[in-house]
Amino acid sequence: MNDMKKLIYILFSLVILAGCEPKIDEYSPDAGAADFTTYVAIGNSLTAGYADGALYTSGQENSYPSIMAEQFKFVGGGEFSQPYIDTEDGVGLEVTPTFDIRLVTKRILKVVPDKDCAGNPIGTFSLKPAFAIDNPDQAVLGAQLAARPTNPAPYNNMGVPGLTVKDLFIPGYGSPFGNPYFARFASNMMATVYQDAVAQNPTFFSMWIGNNDVLTSALAGTDALITPVDTFALYYNMAVLGLVNSTNAPKGVLANIPDILAIPFFTTISPQLPYDNVVLTAEQAAGLNLLYTMYGHPDIVWKEGKNPFVITTTTGAWVQMGPEDIFLLSMPTDSIKCLGMGIANPVTLVPYPIPGKYVLQKSEQVNLQNAITAFNLIIKNAAELNNLALADMNTYMKSFETGMTFDGISMNTRFVSGGMFSTDGVHLCPRGYAVAANFFIDAINGQYASHIPHADITKYAGLKFP
Amino acid sequence: MRRFTVLLLGICLATTTASGGGYQVSLHSIRNIGMGLIGTSLTYDASSYFYNPGAAAFVQDKFSISGGVSLLMARTTFQPKDVMGQYNLEHKLNTPLYFYFGFKPFEDLSIGLAVNTPYGNKLSWGDEWQGRYLIQDLSFKAITIQPSFSYKIKDVFSFGMGLVFALGNVELNKALPLEGQSGVDGQVNIKGSTYNVGFNGGILVRPVKGLNIGIDYRSRINMVVDEADATFTVPTSMQSNFPDQKVATSLPLPANLDFGISYEIKEKFLIGINLCYVFWNVYDTLVFDFKTKTAALDKTYAPAMYENKLIPRIGLQYKVNDIVTVRLGGYYDPSPVPDDYLNPQTPSMNQIGMTAGLSVFPLKGFSIDAAFLYVMGFEREGTYSPENFSGTYRTNVYIPGIGLTYNF
Repeated sequence: MNDMKKLIYILFSLVILAGCEPKIDEYSPDAGAADFTTYVAIGNSLTAGYADGALYTSGQENSYPSIMAEQFKFVGGGEFSQPYIDTEDGVGLEVTPTFDIRLVTKRILKVVPDKDCAGNPIGTFSLKPAFAIDNPDQAVLGAQLAARPTNPAPYNNMGVPGLTVKDLFIPGYGSPFGNPYFARFASNMMATVYQDAVAQNPTFFSMWIGNNDVLTSALAGTDALITPVDTFALYYNMAVLGLVNSTNAPKGVLANIPDILAIPFFTTISPQLPYDNVVLTAEQAAGLNLLYTMYGHPDIVWKEGKNPFVITTTTGAWVQMGPEDIFLLSMPTDSIKCLGMGIANPVTLVPYPIPGKYVLQKSEQVNLQNAITAFNLIIKNAAELNNLALADMNTYMKSFETGMTFDGISMNTRFVSGGMFSTDGVHLCPRGYAVAANFFIDAINGQYASHIPHADITKYAGLKFP
Repeated sequence: MRRFTVLLLGICLATTTASGGGYQVSLHSIRNIGMGLIGTSLTYDASSYFYNPGAAAFVQDKFSISGGVSLLMARTTFQPKDVMGQYNLEHKLNTPLYFYFGFKPFEDLSIGLAVNTPYGNKLSWGDEWQGRYLIQDLSFKAITIQPSFSYKIKDVFSFGMGLVFALGNVELNKALPLEGQSGVDGQVNIKGSTYNVGFNGGILVRPVKGLNIGIDYRSRINMVVDEADATFTVPTSMQSNFPDQKVATSLPLPANLDFGISYEIKEKFLIGINLCYVFWNVYDTLVFDFKTKTAALDKTYAPAMYENKLIPRIGLQYKVNDIVTVRLGGYYDPSPVPDDYLNPQTPSMNQIGMTAGLSVFPLKGFSIDAAFLYVMGFEREGTYSPENFSGTYRTNVYIPGIGLTYNF
């Protein structure tokens, strides 16, 4: 009987042993030399969590500052408030061909029927980004955009879609005549973005800004709208100095500007559509030469075989495309297929150059890239002079051109299939923002000897497929 | 006794360890488990047919039957690199079985059969964990059936050989980073079975009474699955890229070269050592060759890069009286997986095994055998670099086992 008891004890002990999980030290978070109590994020649409061509609630929830703030909570970070817009379909701004502003919803991936040039379905289907709602009620979207957030101010996330460096300091930027994305949460009509940020007395800030100082121009297919370098330097340094000298002398992290050629908006069409995709017979070439001469462009010469498309430049001149000129994602490729865009309209027999806003010429690319290089030098110097962390997004995004893998998820900068950019080809999807947040965290940990844990990127969705 | 339990509880909380080397399972005889898995030079029962067919002719009795089961409970903790939170393997009970039979029609010849499960791996990390795009759950099992003979020349030397018929089945699930509108991951299930043949041969030398020297070689068996079923769950718009289909893959069961020496003193006390060399380098890449290639599905290569390893083992046996025999043993099992290829599919680390065993003989020749094996792994940080998945693993394995042996 006593033996039986012993046996039961031994078995019981073994069960206890088998019940325990092996111990491994947990990740031990540490704020290091920084104080994350009040974190304020300054930036543009990327900071706001804009995605899929619109601002919408869940996009904001997955903004990189929001993801970072969640991780900051492990090292003493406080609540992080964002100016939530009350729509999941989102509100985006688009410029129409007639230069009117049109409000649109976000784009989602849809399976849509392929159509011929007459608009009839041809029986096949394509997976492509399409508006969540076609032709939405402008008044409804306008009201959603104008409505103030229902959660109370102030807002730690000061990301404003469309913001340039200079815009930080423009009084009235939050007025009805300013930027509607700021007007919806500015503390008052005359407040500047910078003032509303500093008024929160941040103990830590992030600033990823300057993208629009080149991107606004690049998206319009020109180099004419680039912010002058001295203007950029003036306002950028004004912002950084103002922030580091504000009440709590905050620490912070700056991020620089990725290369436009790392963005799918500029790299998607050209690999599928060569610049010289106009293949002509000798007769067709002769006909086009006659036509272009009639319309006053004898300098454009068509020949038998492959010919470059004709485009208009920023100055309105007509030229043939160069091998390194690139098409933008905004280009209506149907017009090339059906309306003779780039050659001549097959029905009206009128020359039809591709509007310059759909093409970035090589010289424009060079000017944009030179501006990025100059701006990034200003950002780097500002970080070094003020002992701020620097997230080198320019270099980091380049590594995604060939692709990176995290936890079994491969990501690259390709449109849709790359799993990193959202359906607008410019902004990131939640998983892309989580990867960006982790890169910011690495920069902060490196600068301030802190141990902020990474976000688990597998918890953030990629593109959603129908 | 109560104090003993509390003490164990304390050990448990302080415990900080380990797992299993690759996907080889070494639980083939409760008696041998009790003494550090040294079997190559032992001649006590029909389990020799697995450990060294060469030794079987030295088993004294005309008939020998042995069977048993181990209750393998692995406990693994994972700490992802730089991310808060830890994961534990779900508690699954694996039950490797064995059965051996030996018969001596003549004094110098023995024929026999060995049935056991020398390779396998069963684990589940759950559907939602951070490594779900590498693995959610995996079950791999190979049963081998080995008819053999063993022939003895005088009382000095014997040799033996068997054909090894291996039957294997595998099933794995992992998530695909391809979300539907509701944000639910895609999913792939691969399931297949196969068989193949290898051999097991060895010799035993007994230069003086009490001293046994054994060498055994178990060949590699390549488990080729030509037509496993791959089933995908993906968003509708992606289904043409991921058609359900057949997929070819293969998993090599590595060869083992075992060398063992044991010495028996006055038929009371036995000490033995064993050196087991495992030819793990045959497992360098796991290939999945999808039969229907699409833009998204092609032949995939997952590098494994296993390295050959030597496992040293030591065991002791003491015959207390005619009724009770006790055993102790231990071994060191180095991980065949390099740091850059540490994969949650087989969370492998260097490990120490500590064993204890007991046989009770209620009748002459008949024993009830029990053993307990505690495998303590060393905490290991590594990355599966092809998927950039990093973290720290630690596993403990608790393996009680029970068996019966009858020699007559």
